[in-house]
Amino acid sequence: MERSSSLQRLRAALFASRLDGLITVVLLAALLAGGQALLHWLVFKAQWAVIQANSTLFAIGRYPLDQQWRLWLLSVLLAAATGVSWGWLRAFPRPDRRTRLWPANDRLAAAVLAGLALLLPLFLQLSAAISQRWWGITALLLACRWWAGRVGPALPAAVRRGWPVIWPLLYLLGMTLIAGGLGLPVVSPSRWGGLLLTLIEASFAILLCFPLGVLLALGRRSRLPLLRWLSVLYIEFIRGAPLITLLFLGQNILGLLLPGGFSPDRVWRAAWVLTFFAAAYVAEAVRSGLVALPPGQMEAARALGLPVHQAMLKVVLPQALRVALPAMVGQFINLLQDTTLLSLIGLFELLGTARAVMANPAFLGKDAEVYLVLAVLFWCCCAALGLGSRALETRLNSNPQPA
Amino acid sequence: MTDRDLMIEARGVQKWYPNGYHALRGVDLNVYRGEVVVIMGPSGSGKSTFIRTFNALEDIQGGSIVVDGMTLSDDVRNIDAIRREVGMVFQQFNLFPHLTVLENLCLAPVLVRKRKKAEVEQEALALLERVNIREQAHKYPGQLSGGQQQRVAIARSLCMEPRVMLFDEPTSALDPEMVQEVLEVMQELAREGMTMVVVTHEVRFARQVASRVVLMAEGEVVEMAPPEQFFTAPQHERTRQFLSQIA
Repeated sequence: MERSSSLQRLRAALFASRLDGLITVVLLAALLAGGQALLHWLVFKAQWAVIQANSTLFAIGRYPLDQQWRLWLLSVLLAAATGVSWGWLRAFPRPDRRTRLWPANDRLAAAVLAGLALLLPLFLQLSAAISQRWWGITALLLACRWWAGRVGPALPAAVRRGWPVIWPLLYLLGMTLIAGGLGLPVVSPSRWGGLLLTLIEASFAILLCFPLGVLLALGRRSRLPLLRWLSVLYIEFIRGAPLITLLFLGQNILGLLLPGGFSPDRVWRAAWVLTFFAAAYVAEAVRSGLVALPPGQMEAARALGLPVHQAMLKVVLPQALRVALPAMVGQFINLLQDTTLLSLIGLFELLGTARAVMANPAFLGKDAEVYLVLAVLFWCCCAALGLGSRALETRLNSNPQPA
Repeated sequence: MTDRDLMIEARGVQKWYPNGYHALRGVDLNVYRGEVVVIMGPSGSGKSTFIRTFNALEDIQGGSIVVDGMTLSDDVRNIDAIRREVGMVFQQFNLFPHLTVLENLCLAPVLVRKRKKAEVEQEALALLERVNIREQAHKYPGQLSGGQQQRVAIARSLCMEPRVMLFDEPTSALDPEMVQEVLEVMQELAREGMTMVVVTHEVRFARQVASRVVLMAEGEVVEMAPPEQFFTAPQHERTRQFLSQIA
């Protein structure tokens, strides 16, 4: 009975009319043909040696071998922090929405993560030592998630409320671990590469373009004419110029603009250009959020005696940013993908590394394998950003619709 | 009444909107401590604009406004000082939708008056009790009816312990069956001696609660009289015309 009803539903969805049926059949045929060809290539034709041999290069570039423990340590710390945050987000939904867990399909997410972590190293035939480390790190993450959910209720609430502070601290610690300093030998940015460099550039730009974009958006709506004109000029100039032009420009003139002849490394120059570029777009997203807010909100806050800056911080921005969040995350995802342009100014981030590998005569003609892995890697990062933002939206939404 | 009892003193208030429209043409009004002054008038008569000048939500181009002894000036600190003492209730409620009802009430006292949160929360709950929505304290404004939202808005203003309350058409955006619950709260407030300036079309409220009723038209005060006289024996043709339109 159950079976036949779901069969009927399937039939109603796919073969409701003659035209629907035709479309379904054509699409299924195309899907089968394409899927079969892809599968055939994946299993029989593709040669993953190019990935295996260069997996370290793709992951971290030419990071010195004797210093790689710092990156492993960072991975362990990140996994632990993620696990604890995940566990607590799950165990403590917002008080006004006890029924809604975060995210809804949490068990599924954990299972997918575990499956990927287990199979990917096998699939890529990474060395046993490295595979085991990845498994260990994944196990640690899941264990922390479980443990945090377990002990969370027994801990004082202040610990949980203060926990998010760990993330900026961890970011600073991470940059120190990667770059050196505080007694660690310095690893020059020119040795960073692959996914490591991509993530450094993207995270740096995402973190800094956000406050900069908010300030620009507020500047654009300011009553002070000079501030307003400068903000408009900046935003429109940046939005009118292609990123690649700005990147080349940045390599040449950023050193001249910064005070005291202080000229950062090429890697950092590129990161700043990305930041300045994304800030203009974030500013426009935030501005749309500000425009959407009824003027009565500011009036009510001011009528209660709140000074402008407090009215902004406590009433206007929280609401405007919530409206702007989807557009901003879209911008962050663009930013992550735009880091591939850095390969054109000679940085060995993921695409740059890939091009270097493919130029190696030993791996000639293995472009498809390399590009596929790249695409999947980027997709994973962007999907994570997208999922995170959707969860954040749900959690921040103060007008839950009755189901 | 002595000058010491003068809560709001508006003298010759002139207001032009940026598009050149002359909204207020030399308006005078005295509001004394404990009084309830109801302002009526056709739409576009400048009545909302007028009470919004009392807490500088609208700037003025001529005349003077003194609130509780403080003369309103362009100085931001002076404006903020006056706004702390003047509560305002809006037609559209303007509750903060991202905060719970209780957070809406506590925001300003904690941030502006620098008071302890726990202490303010106790008072806020007592205020919510007074406007009969204590049980909604932890909900968000979007989950409440219009009448409940407006009562929260009144409680939010009261939480700052203002010396005078301004009401800008507080029942105009409400469904008819919710008007009464809001008017009752306002009536109760008046009985406790709160000084109030109310822009409204509610004739019954004006008759029962007002100390004086003011008719504004074309940016000027046309008539000002105790409610009994205002509604039964108006002196001006313009008032008679207005009353016949809303009756």
